[in-house]
Amino acid sequence: MSTQNPNQNGYMLLFRGTDLRKGLSSEELQKVTDNWMAWFRRLTEEGKAVAGNPLEREGKIVSGKDRVVADGPFAESKEAIGGYFLLDVATMEEAVAIATDCPGLPYGIRVEVRPVAGECPIAADIRKEAQFAQV
Amino acid sequence: MQNMNTEEQNGYMLLFRSNEWYEELSHDEIQKVINQNTAWIEGLIAEGKAKPGHALHRDGATVSGKDGRIVSDGPFPEAKEVIGGFLLLNVETIAEAIAIAQRSPTLAYGTSIEVRPVAEECPLDVRARELARQEQFASA
Repeated sequence: MSTQNPNQNGYMLLFRGTDLRKGLSSEELQKVTDNWMAWFRRLTEEGKAVAGNPLEREGKIVSGKDRVVADGPFAESKEAIGGYFLLDVATMEEAVAIATDCPGLPYGIRVEVRPVAGECPIAADIRKEAQFAQV
Repeated sequence: MQNMNTEEQNGYMLLFRSNEWYEELSHDEIQKVINQNTAWIEGLIAEGKAKPGHALHRDGATVSGKDGRIVSDGPFPEAKEVIGGFLLLNVETIAEAIAIAQRSPTLAYGTSIEVRPVAEECPLDVRARELARQEQFASA
C-alpha cells in the first residue's frame, strides 16, 4: 500500500461530479471557479501541481472487441470526471491534504486521489510473479 | 507541460477504464498484450500524437463531503469503472482521437476508453458567464 511509502511518481487528483452548477447563482459559481483557479495557481507556484486541466463535458466512450463508439459520459453526473491535477508530492497524506482544500467539495464534488505508477502495475505484477516462480 | 493557461490547441485525453481483464489470461498472454500496448503508445509518442501517459496504481482514496471532508480508501465500487491510466493526445479532432482509441490493444479484453476534449477554459466559468447574462436579462 502506498499510503505510507513515498511515491516518487506523484499523485493524480480526479475531480468527479459535473453537476455542481445546478442551483447555484452566477455569482456563487463564479466564486467557486475563481477559488479553484487560485488554488491551482498557488499549488503550481509552490511546485506541488505540475499539470492540470478541465475537460469538456461531452466526449465519447470506445469499448469492447468491436470497438463500439458511444456518447458519454452523460452531461451532468455525479460520477463524470470534470478535470484533473497532477501533483508532485511524495506521500498519499500530502496528496489527500491538498484534495481536502478543493473548493468544489462543499458542492458535492468528490476528489479521487491516485498514486501514479512508474510502470504499468500489471506489468510489475507479472514480473514479480515470474521472479517468484523461478525461486 | 500543458496547463490551464495554455493558449495552444488543447488536445484530447484518453481515460482507460480498466476491469480486471488480465485475471483471466495466462502470464504469456498478459505479457503479449502489455508488449502490444507499450508498442502502441511508443508509436503514438514517436509520431508526436501523444505525450507520455501514466498508469495509476489501483489503490487510492476519495475525498468528499461538505465539512467533515470524508476520506475513504480506494476507488472503488465497480472494478470496471476504475481508471487505470491516461494518455494526452495532440490531435485536432475528436474523430482522430477516437480512431486512435479504437486501436488500443486492451479493448479486445473488455476495457473501455473515455475520449474527452481538454477544455480551453473551465466549463464552469463559461456557465457562470451564461448565468450572469441570463440574470441580467431577467432583471432588465
